[in-house]
Amino acid sequence: MYAYDTFDRNIIDARVAEFRDQVERRMKGELTEEEFRPLRLMNGLYLQLHAYMLRVAVPYGTMSSKQMHRLADIATKYDKGYGHFTTRQNIQYNWPKLVETPDILTELAEVEMHAHQTSGNCIRNTTTDQFAGATRDEVEDPRPYAELIRQWSTFHPEFSFLPRKFKIAITGAGQDRAAVKWHDIGLILRKNDAGETGFEVIVGGGMGRTPVIGKTIREFLPEADLLSYLEAILRVYNEQGRRDNKYKARIKILVEALGAEEYARLTEAEWQKIKDQHIDVPAEEVARIKAFFTPPPLPVLSDDVPAVDEFANQNFIFKTWLDNNTNPHKVLGHVNVTISLKPHDGIPGDATDEQMHLVADLAEKYSQSEIRVSHEQNLILPHVAKQDLVEIWKILDANGLGSANVGLLTDMIVCPGMDYCALANARSIPIGQAIADRFDDIRRLQDIGPLKLKISGCINSCGHHHAGHIGILGVDRRGEENYQISLGGSGAEDATKAALLGPGFDEHGIVDAVEKVVAVYLGEREEGEEFLATYRRIGAAPFKEAVYDAD
Amino acid sequence: MTLINLSGIHSETYRELTDGDLPAAGESVLVPLSQLQDNGAAIFELTSSVGVIVDTETAYSDLEEFVGQVSFVDIRFPVFGDGRGFSLAVRLRKDFGFKGEIRASGHVLPDQALFLLRAGFDSVDAAEERREAFEAALKRFGAFYQTDMIGHGKSVAHLRHSASGNDTTTKEAG
Ligand code: HEM
Ligand code: SF4
Repeated sequence: MYAYDTFDRNIIDARVAEFRDQVERRMKGELTEEEFRPLRLMNGLYLQLHAYMLRVAVPYGTMSSKQMHRLADIATKYDKGYGHFTTRQNIQYNWPKLVETPDILTELAEVEMHAHQTSGNCIRNTTTDQFAGATRDEVEDPRPYAELIRQWSTFHPEFSFLPRKFKIAITGAGQDRAAVKWHDIGLILRKNDAGETGFEVIVGGGMGRTPVIGKTIREFLPEADLLSYLEAILRVYNEQGRRDNKYKARIKILVEALGAEEYARLTEAEWQKIKDQHIDVPAEEVARIKAFFTPPPLPVLSDDVPAVDEFANQNFIFKTWLDNNTNPHKVLGHVNVTISLKPHDGIPGDATDEQMHLVADLAEKYSQSEIRVSHEQNLILPHVAKQDLVEIWKILDANGLGSANVGLLTDMIVCPGMDYCALANARSIPIGQAIADRFDDIRRLQDIGPLKLKISGCINSCGHHHAGHIGILGVDRRGEENYQISLGGSGAEDATKAALLGPGFDEHGIVDAVEKVVAVYLGEREEGEEFLATYRRIGAAPFKEAVYDAD
Repeated sequence: MTLINLSGIHSETYRELTDGDLPAAGESVLVPLSQLQDNGAAIFELTSSVGVIVDTETAYSDLEEFVGQVSFVDIRFPVFGDGRGFSLAVRLRKDFGFKGEIRASGHVLPDQALFLLRAGFDSVDAAEERREAFEAALKRFGAFYQTDMIGHGKSVAHLRHSASGNDTTTKEAG
């Protein structure tokens, strides 16, 4: 894991002092609320429905046990005993007090954490694959590059006042678990024919009210040129992105208006001018950062662990958990364990302080003191020996963290919606809970198989409904909460935009609609065919018929 | 309003020319870009001390023909969050190698002082009551993750390795 040196330490300390000063000036009335707003936003502090909300960055979703313990302590001390892990690999606290936030930032800084750029019109926290550096299907660990981007984008003098927020995601694996094509910039690590490392560069993706899948503007960018190339992309956007209408201010609108080819041409022309300036860091710096991410010294073990298989044969739930919640590790005999934060009666993505401490303890004992956050709002123990799985599962299960539903219908992404969010048109959490209630049988879920359901409480799409195999969007229809259903989206390497099926439903009707959609799939699927594949093969018509015509 | 110096370069007041007005011989004047486009030759004949006022909507390419002649550029921010002004300053420094003064006026915040300086600005025209806050903000950070846009100043990434003799910041920023 990356560790701060004195430079990083001084910068983070100065930042906390600056924010403390800004809060004081606000309290004294030297800053108007209008002027304070962007300053607090750049420190992740929002004003929500009931209170302030503080969004803390977990850069590229990686943290240590020590950091997780601290997140738990903050939940105890400054919140109501829980935190909410988000689709951007951050954690949100829903109840901090304005005057206490500088103290929270101080406590975070002590463990090398911060809330820089978790909000506001700047380059946001870069996200990546939750299994980065640990998964078997990887070209290279993307996290050193994410750290490079973190540093370069932190308080960038030119790009801190962009037309809108700006999100970068990066993956090094064949399977895209970071939804890179749904970001303002998506980066995919590739090797060229000569075996050199570089990036496929994708621009102009995004959700919100105009969902767009990003387009490739460069097939292979040498790794040494990453920052100067990003700078070229951003300069073009900063100058030409629309500022008259915030819904049209995203890079996706500019890329659509100019065309991806023209955007590529402008970027390339800009880059030719600046690529030899010292924007890109020295090779020694890349090597220094990479050294923090050298794989942990795991012993090579056998992938066959009879004791685990035996236990699985006796215990269906454990077997299901093993099938769904573990992912093959680079090193034989190991796995990545996903801890589902989607218990049937819980709030997707929420973790209590006790659960956070527990996960931190487990990581210390079984996973090299390392924890990850996924964009699907789960936690991961990335380096677990297979032989420890039974023990780990028993502990998780005893503490309400044993849900075996990873990748299944109830492993939903759900935004905070009307329960917390000032922008919401509808509730999201209760809808997610009602669906989880309806599908509360793990055998049935397992039979249905991989299915991504995603819910947003308004068009801003924090819940990624555009990328859901089943997407649900809450809208306001003449003062009533109404839920629209769309099908066929994907946030993976085969990214697609979900298509609206038809008119929306009330909060009960939407649960029935999901059930009917699933029933059509079960009736139509071919041997071994997953939901998305069936939908792509048979199209929307049979689903539409079942949902709207049948009784 | 008062001038706050960000970079230490000499910063002076200029008389703003109103429509059709011409400078006295040798006078320091400030001229909107449109007037320079209409009447530049006459103005430069009377004085070499000319500043140009641009708004954040200005395309940087429109400045190219004047950068060799003007001694300073005043970029007016309608709102402090208009990042185009920052890219304009960067363009002036990087694309045109402009060495004169770049001033931010209009709506900018004290908390932006270092962002402005590091994007290439030298001065700010702001309310006198904000001088102290601007000056305090300038001292806030001692090192940065990016090299600045004026082509000197080392990024943390470069500083980390300069001790080992691997410094690459001698490259000119152009
Ligand atoms: C509760 C406070 C929140 C507020 C006020 C908020 C606000 C917004 C807004 C205004 C957008 C629109 C972006 C656009 O169209 O340009 C957005 C998008 C988004 N938000 Fe949130 N959000 C909140 C919570 C969350 C949470 C909890 C998550 C993660 C679970 C999240 C993740 C996202 C994502 C991934 C997008 C889509 C970005 C895109 O356009 O590609 N947000 N949010
Ligand atoms: S999708 Fe809408 S309701 Fe949900 S968190 Fe985002 S802004 Fe709030």
